[in-house]
Amino acid sequence: MRQQHLLVATSALGLIASVAIGGANAQDKTIKIGALLPMSGPGAYFGSQDKQGIELALEQLNKSMVNGYKFTIQYEDSACSPLPASQAAKRLLDQYKPDVIIGEECSDATLAIMPIIEQAKVPMINAGSSALKITDPGNPYTFRIMPNEVMQGVDIASQAYNKLNARTAVLLFENTNAGIGNAKVFKETFEKLGGKILAEIGFGRDVNDFTSIATRVAGLGKIDVIPTYTLEGQGLKITQALAQAGVVKGGDGPAIQLGTIWLPFGFEQKAGKAATGYVRIVQFDPTDPRDMVKNFVSAFKAKFNSDPTHLNAHAYDQIMLIADVVKRGAKDAQSIRDMLAQTKSFVGVTGSVEFDKNNQNVKMDTIHYMETQPDLSWKALKWN
Amino acid sequence: MSDAAISRAVHPWWASRRLGFLAAALVIAALPMMLTGNYWQTNLTICAINVLLALGLDFILGYAGQLNLGQSAFYGLGAYVSTLLITRLGVPFWAAFAAGVAFAGLAGMILATFAVRLRGHYLAIASLGFAVITYQILLNWINLTQGPLGIYAIPPPPAITIPGLPAISFRNPVALFYLVAGVTLLVYFILDQLVRSPIGETLTAIREDEVSAASLGINTALWKVFAFGVGAAVGGAAGCFYATFVGTLVPDAFFITESFTILAMVIVGGMGTLIGPVFGAVLLTLLPEVLRGVGDLRLMVYGAVLTLVVLFMPGGLVQAARVVGARLGLSR
Repeated sequence: MRQQHLLVATSALGLIASVAIGGANAQDKTIKIGALLPMSGPGAYFGSQDKQGIELALEQLNKSMVNGYKFTIQYEDSACSPLPASQAAKRLLDQYKPDVIIGEECSDATLAIMPIIEQAKVPMINAGSSALKITDPGNPYTFRIMPNEVMQGVDIASQAYNKLNARTAVLLFENTNAGIGNAKVFKETFEKLGGKILAEIGFGRDVNDFTSIATRVAGLGKIDVIPTYTLEGQGLKITQALAQAGVVKGGDGPAIQLGTIWLPFGFEQKAGKAATGYVRIVQFDPTDPRDMVKNFVSAFKAKFNSDPTHLNAHAYDQIMLIADVVKRGAKDAQSIRDMLAQTKSFVGVTGSVEFDKNNQNVKMDTIHYMETQPDLSWKALKWN
Repeated sequence: MSDAAISRAVHPWWASRRLGFLAAALVIAALPMMLTGNYWQTNLTICAINVLLALGLDFILGYAGQLNLGQSAFYGLGAYVSTLLITRLGVPFWAAFAAGVAFAGLAGMILATFAVRLRGHYLAIASLGFAVITYQILLNWINLTQGPLGIYAIPPPPAITIPGLPAISFRNPVALFYLVAGVTLLVYFILDQLVRSPIGETLTAIREDEVSAASLGINTALWKVFAFGVGAAVGGAAGCFYATFVGTLVPDAFFITESFTILAMVIVGGMGTLIGPVFGAVLLTLLPEVLRGVGDLRLMVYGAVLTLVVLFMPGGLVQAARVVGARLGLSR
């Protein structure tokens, strides 16, 4: 009887121990993702939308896990600014010790973070910063899945010249690293093709009233396109001011406003009729017929009761790219970096990814052009 | 009985300045050992930089009574002058540091020379205007400052080599903290000597009643220019350290809102005292970081705390400490 009790006790202990060890192993097989996103300040909409895409991707991945790994995440507010971003990065690296980081959205902040993550040898996937310096020369730990400012600027200038037959342009841009960089590339490409830049108008992020700028633009003569590089808040005011001044199509004028991925989905609804005829790059086409995109759209709608934006889609793809490298055998920061560098054929909802030697995605199928219709819906222009 | 003798008789032993400085040095030495990890250690450096900024403003506002909202400009001038000298002309760090401090101090004196007749709100507007102009220059003079394109990879101060000891590299966050905190303590000591000297009494007289001070033969304009020069130079020193600490310089770091943040540090800590701005700067630097655990509510909680302090402790943390001290019978 005593022996039986001993056997039962030993078995029970063994069972507890095996569950505990098994539990510990399961616990150990975790890929920790750190997210450096702006959650305060003028770029806060990036962070909130990124978060939705991330949550959806993690929910899907953690249902079945990848190669036995589950994924966890910690968010830090990096505020689109160098000092808060570098502090957020240090906090994340010190306290959470992530295997991989996603973020930041703003170029200044990303450039400030880069030496910190390089020193910590933790890879970072960026999907929102367009400044060339991020991947030229970049560093071995920073990867960008979106086209840089040159790729976007050259493409949008070429499409404006060739597809819209634009010959004159006025550049409007915020005085930031990305704003100036994007405008410069457009100018160089457009002028090389034979177009003429009538004015280059930069403004600080503190400008709230664009009436005087719109009035000045209205006095510049015949304008075909107005490439505009700014965040949503100022973008809305510019579009409405240009429409009120009768410059752009939304105000029954002749000019077409051109925009980039900086603006979130829903911009048109906020801008109203003024946005009619606006042509802009989005990096996610919700009308894309691929099953992957259809599934993403329906899952997103089911979870958040709204249509996904390109920011949602970008964040979703960043997580799915991490899952892809884990599927290919990556298990820690160094192997994730190495596998990311070898990525050749990842296909996400925003497009495909193949990194060059500087860790820049070279695929152009992530650029989709949309034209805003009078009912504020989009027409996909299928230029790429 | 001499002033010193009176002071010794009135102040209890723990309030002795020498012991205070010794305790401050010991706290500075111990902090990086208590707060380990790169994140907290770099937060300490930010605290030290902000203490410098707050001390500079407090000297102008708290002692000379001049409502200066242009401290962000002096901060930016110190940062850009030293960085441009280092990155463009290859000037050694400490020479560039001295130039940054001197340039900011000179800018403060020039501003004060023109604004010397203004008081209160009018001076606030004039100094705010100076901050706006400086920001616009930093933003738009791209050929010189790189404007919004930013200056990146700014090196830390060069390592110090002491014979017989390993070189002290300021790439190490602890060493950099000791450097910045050491300079901050030195600045505190100098300002403490100044405010306890006849110069401090002169400035206080101007703050309390400028007309009466002038009637006693005090050249109020000259002393206001002096106060601006000293406060701006200290702000410039903070800027020099900021650039080398962050390694990235963009004009947005010196936007006018920074002036209000520095003002909040002085008011929350307790202006007109030197220790108050130290507490204010440390609190307002660390609070947002401590509150990161609160998530999206972080800035709301931060704002609420700030409002409560100003509402219920109009004399700042120093006043609160005095009240608590009096209740505990620790002071007279």
